[in-house]
Amino acid sequence: MVLYDTVTMMTKRIGVLALQGAFAEHIALLNKAIEDNKHDIEVITVKTAPQLSSCDSLIIPGGESTTISLIAKRTGLFDSLIEFVHDPTKTVWGTCAGLIFLAKQLSNESSLVNSLDLLKVKVRRNAFGRQAESFIETCDFSSFIPDCTGFQVYFIRAPIIEEILSQDDVETLYTLKDGSIVAVSQQGRILGTSFHPELSDNDARFHNYFIQKFVLNN
Amino acid sequence: MADFKVKSGLAQMLKGGVIMDVVTAEQAIIAEKAGACAVMALEQIPADMRKSGKVCRMSDPKMIKEIMNSVSIPVMAKVRIGHFVEAQILQALEIDYIDESEVLTPADWKGHIKKNDFNVPFVCGAKDLGEALRRIEEGAAMIRTKGEAGTGDVSEAVKHIKKIKSEIKEYQDTLGDDTDFIKQRAESIGVSYELLKYVLDNGKLPVVNFAAGGVATPADAALLMQLGCEGVFVGSGIFKSSDPEKLARAIVEATTHYDDAETLLKVSTDLGDLMGGLSIESLKNSENPKRLANIGW
Repeated sequence: MVLYDTVTMMTKRIGVLALQGAFAEHIALLNKAIEDNKHDIEVITVKTAPQLSSCDSLIIPGGESTTISLIAKRTGLFDSLIEFVHDPTKTVWGTCAGLIFLAKQLSNESSLVNSLDLLKVKVRRNAFGRQAESFIETCDFSSFIPDCTGFQVYFIRAPIIEEILSQDDVETLYTLKDGSIVAVSQQGRILGTSFHPELSDNDARFHNYFIQKFVLNN
Repeated sequence: MADFKVKSGLAQMLKGGVIMDVVTAEQAIIAEKAGACAVMALEQIPADMRKSGKVCRMSDPKMIKEIMNSVSIPVMAKVRIGHFVEAQILQALEIDYIDESEVLTPADWKGHIKKNDFNVPFVCGAKDLGEALRRIEEGAAMIRTKGEAGTGDVSEAVKHIKKIKSEIKEYQDTLGDDTDFIKQRAESIGVSYELLKYVLDNGKLPVVNFAAGGVATPADAALLMQLGCEGVFVGSGIFKSSDPEKLARAIVEATTHYDDAETLLKVSTDLGDLMGGLSIESLKNSENPKRLANIGW
């Protein structure tokens, strides 16, 4: 029994916020990264405050940022989320809607999104336009993920990071050819991406990066 | 041509959410505030179309545009089955999703739109696995299992999601890994071997599957989620009730917490007058006894 407890205390737990959106895809790729690399990590879905508080790390998935933020507010999870993401011992990753939810400032369409007021960036929602402007980009992430080239990512009604509000705290990880910032890290604890690595079929390299650099490193 | 995954990817982002029928910009704003993940812009909700007995067509782009300008969430709109020109018009409008819908009067009783020819993604209805796969083969990037629109009776939606799930199971059991059997079955239901093989291997459709038609209460939405749907369309139910804002919020919460009876109890309580509805049984005695779910093949 004692031995068992010691083991479970060491196992890190990643929660995937499951209020709305593409959370199942994140779970599938996290599990693949964990299995492929034999990480001592478990993954759960998070809909309630007790589930959230049992986690070391949180992923906020793509979905509709208004929906996710309104449901969080209404079901009383919002305050727990605020507390969790601002806790320096926790790590957080937001993709697309998750990035919007984390951003300190929104430059447009902000009235229905209650921000978690964490990531020191200004984000523009639907920055490329409507669904007609959604696209795939094959990216070379090798500048921050070793050997990670040819990674296909999806930009779906995607936001971009228009401005970094603290050069000291926020590092730009990836920029598109037109100069749009689409991936940032804040103090090695918070990851924000405007694209969807969770839609990349069976390619868990980005999730493995999050696990190694953020979840296990923190 | 947009990559199929860009089209199906938007549907993945809608999962766990509620897509609400709206006829005005004001309703769209109410829906967005309630937490809808998308809205369906149309001139008449199905309950009213059903009563009218008139030819139902694509809505005026002017009203669709007004709705697109009033909310930040994705906007969908319907075209008639087989009416590829209505689809071309909505694509030019830059609508986010097109619903090729049996709720409107079909323009072609033989063929659906070749949806692979379009950049804009399509959602289509289905009553069984063959119908769902034929639509996907044509390029549908999202499926909604058909309920009986405009009735407030959830039974047809229940029947069809159960049918699709049981057919997947039955095909897995009877076809096994036998390539010839799978090829024969694929041919008999009019789809490619690769598509059927994907379904057998994965135990699910290759695109997101929502429920639609007859959803009138938070409990209806949760029922369909527990039966395996990945989100719900709510049509007439919300704006035919006495307190649409409250009901809309309740259905959104019920869809997120579909497996938590405590939350379902809370959001199902004191909702005022719900849509009176029209039971499937009573349809045969009504002025317009046509079963919309039976349109399409």
